[in-house]
Amino acid sequence: MKNVSWRNLPTYQKGEHLKMKWCKSIQNLVAFFSVSLVSALAYAQPQPESGYNLPRDVSLDGHRIDWLINITMVFCIILFVIMCIWMLWAIFLHGKNHKADYDTGDSKHHILIACTISALIFFVVDGNLFYNSVVDLNEAFWNFEKAEGPDAVQIEVNGRQWVWDARYKGADGKFNTADDIVTRNDIRVPINTPIGMQLTSVDVIHSFFLPNLRVKSDAIPGDVNRIWFQATDTGDFEIVCVQHCGAAHYKMRGILTIMPENEYKAWHDEASRRAKLAFDPEDKSAQWGWAWEEL
Amino acid sequence: MDLQPIHHEPTTFVKKYLFTTDHKVIAKQFLWAGLLFLLWGGLLAMMIRWQWAYPGEKVPVIGDLFLKESGGAITPDLYPKLFTNHGLIMIFWAITPMLIGAFGNYCIPLMIGARDMAFPLLNMLSFWVFVLSQIMVGASFFFDNGAAAAAWISYPPMSGNIGTPGHGQTMMMAAIFVTGVATIMGGINYVTTVIRFRAPGMTWMRLPLTVWGLWLTSVLNVLFVPVLGSAGLLLILDRMFGTQFFVAGANATGTGGDPILFQHLFWIFGHPEVYILILPAWGIVGDVISFFSRKPAYWYKGTVIALIAVTVLSAVVYGHHMFMTGINPLLGQSFMILTLVISIPAEVLFLNWLHTMWKGSIRLTVPMIFALGTVFVFGLGGLTGIFLGTISTDIYLHDTMYVVGHFHYTMAAATFLGTFCAIYFWFPKMFGRKMNPMLGKLHFWFSFIFITLVFGGQLVVGYAGQPRWFFDPYQYTFLQHLQDANIKTSWAAFALLFGQVFFVINFFKSMFAGEEAGDNPWEVGTLEWTIPSPPPVHNFDPIPTVYHGPHEYAHPGVLEKMGKDWLGQDEAFDGIELSASTDEKVAQGA
Repeated sequence: MKNVSWRNLPTYQKGEHLKMKWCKSIQNLVAFFSVSLVSALAYAQPQPESGYNLPRDVSLDGHRIDWLINITMVFCIILFVIMCIWMLWAIFLHGKNHKADYDTGDSKHHILIACTISALIFFVVDGNLFYNSVVDLNEAFWNFEKAEGPDAVQIEVNGRQWVWDARYKGADGKFNTADDIVTRNDIRVPINTPIGMQLTSVDVIHSFFLPNLRVKSDAIPGDVNRIWFQATDTGDFEIVCVQHCGAAHYKMRGILTIMPENEYKAWHDEASRRAKLAFDPEDKSAQWGWAWEEL
Repeated sequence: MDLQPIHHEPTTFVKKYLFTTDHKVIAKQFLWAGLLFLLWGGLLAMMIRWQWAYPGEKVPVIGDLFLKESGGAITPDLYPKLFTNHGLIMIFWAITPMLIGAFGNYCIPLMIGARDMAFPLLNMLSFWVFVLSQIMVGASFFFDNGAAAAAWISYPPMSGNIGTPGHGQTMMMAAIFVTGVATIMGGINYVTTVIRFRAPGMTWMRLPLTVWGLWLTSVLNVLFVPVLGSAGLLLILDRMFGTQFFVAGANATGTGGDPILFQHLFWIFGHPEVYILILPAWGIVGDVISFFSRKPAYWYKGTVIALIAVTVLSAVVYGHHMFMTGINPLLGQSFMILTLVISIPAEVLFLNWLHTMWKGSIRLTVPMIFALGTVFVFGLGGLTGIFLGTISTDIYLHDTMYVVGHFHYTMAAATFLGTFCAIYFWFPKMFGRKMNPMLGKLHFWFSFIFITLVFGGQLVVGYAGQPRWFFDPYQYTFLQHLQDANIKTSWAAFALLFGQVFFVINFFKSMFAGEEAGDNPWEVGTLEWTIPSPPPVHNFDPIPTVYHGPHEYAHPGVLEKMGKDWLGQDEAFDGIELSASTDEKVAQGA
């Protein structure tokens, strides 16, 4: 059999930005098509990364994680190097020809030193990690109130094998109504705006990961989890499922598009208007949304 | 002494080599069973590594033999079966039988001066139940839809009928249950034997660290494997009998159950399991470093306290595996601080190992370099773990290859090198012959260098964002530049496999043609080296009396009067510990 290169399978076609200034007649024509057409026209072109660093950070709070990882990395490298030097030095200095000391290390003096060193490392390295992590969670990552205000954009995300469905409130400001926008593997958000998401799944457990925004949470059937973030740059970024969810787990890839605020608003209004036209009240399976869960 | 009668050596082949109650033969049985499955799990790992380096391309050799239908390539359907079975086989059917089954069985009675385990028949049953579970694992590959494919963590609903239909997954869950039964039988046996069968004078503070590690492991096994068993049983009920303990979402009827419940049960077992696997290796390393530094183990009591502290803490940190499940923030922070606290006893352990070496007279024998290699890789594994113990850093690193690299350093690299340290160290006792040190050193350098590179490569790509469980990471634009790193890492893995050839040659050659070992080739003082190699069926006759701890090296008085730098635990020497009145009472009264 011919070798199949899975890498070269087509994923997303390069496209152009939707032009929102189309004349009214064309708009009416297009309106007959379902919202899925909006998705199909998606313009997704995530940029490749380079080197072995953390992926480019485009979020308001991601730098907190990056700093904490990197500072702890420095501590760990220092500790590890000390350990290695100690071992090598001992082997070098105190080899076969060295006469061993009879030292059981039981003296109070020795115990005090061992405990002091351990406590010192704990309070500096682990203490720094713990303190900053708690602060970060309370101020940023798990401070979900930030995405509850009137300016925030709220999105319901539903994972299923092997798709991320996203649902936006329409003009009526309510979830699970006729003018909801529903997209498939295609989430669009405005820049510089708090974005709140509620995640669930219908089948197995998925995990919603935005590497460039340092955001992650499991999507669990029968449960609603929250995340929030705020983007600081426009562009296309990848949405990754990071919980093993079946044979095509690796294909559960979505695109997060961060747009300028006015562009997002134009898209949102237009998509909501079309969604209302295309709404089919008989199609119960399409009405999977839920009333936004308050904090 | 009526607890420990002297049995005659069995005469029939079946009683001597198959259905034996002799702990030394059972240990070898576990060793063979474990080595076989280590090879199997290792080959599965090589296929995964091939896939990450050259996705979709024909696998050399294995592809021709087993993957004819897909033209030799790994398919997206096969791939989850590979990593699922790699993980489960390595944990339950390779490391567990080798470190705990083989060396637990071999070392505990010999090192504490007992004639056999407390329950020899239960010991035999434990092994044969274990074999049954291995057969079940093998059988799980032959059902429709193939073997288990829900990852080693087996989270429902993925591990339910919705995610993995077919009997392969059910069979695997049943096999885990059965091997759990075998582990509990062994655990009860080890715990009882150490409590009841210590030789006179062998107080708790005179136990070799190996025995401490194995004993604490067995305590954890007895406490927590039943939890895994219950989780597995509930999952089997869900799969086979229509219950809904773990079913939720669109597939639930009525109110359904809760998939998170399984995660709680799994990790209540799963986190102690990490320590179950590493504690014996820590114990062995602690002993071996002292033996070959020819110096007493530094602050022995501190090491023991640290091992106990880790054992206790291991039971109350499991929530850090569930930080991304929408855990209650207060609960999350509690698990966070408890997790970080483990670094204190771990630091005490490392400091004691390093202090033991310092000012010693270090002999770089094959077991010693494996022990030092274990310290090195466990250092890497431990340090990379603290990033995963705090929630904010875990938000980014959770479920990436970074996690895979971290836990492989601790659970795979450290236990792998620790197991080989044990094999090289006790081989002369087990088979009466020495292993070839030259081949041993070749094996060490291949294993040590490449195991470090393999899991280091995983840390690097994980830090750059590559998730685990990916059939083809390069579907993602932000991961495409990592293929070069993955190719290099994969070749390190293949070299690691190649290096094992030296072990296989050495193992079989030495078994039949190695140099005669004598009673005590390493000149160490623990009880197993006071009897012939290999030991007679009843081990000790009479049962020895113990006068001091296991690490009496470089004592100036001993050197002067006896002309050697070590002292057997059964050798009395004025000035070493004899003043302790309680110890004397134990020695005389028992």
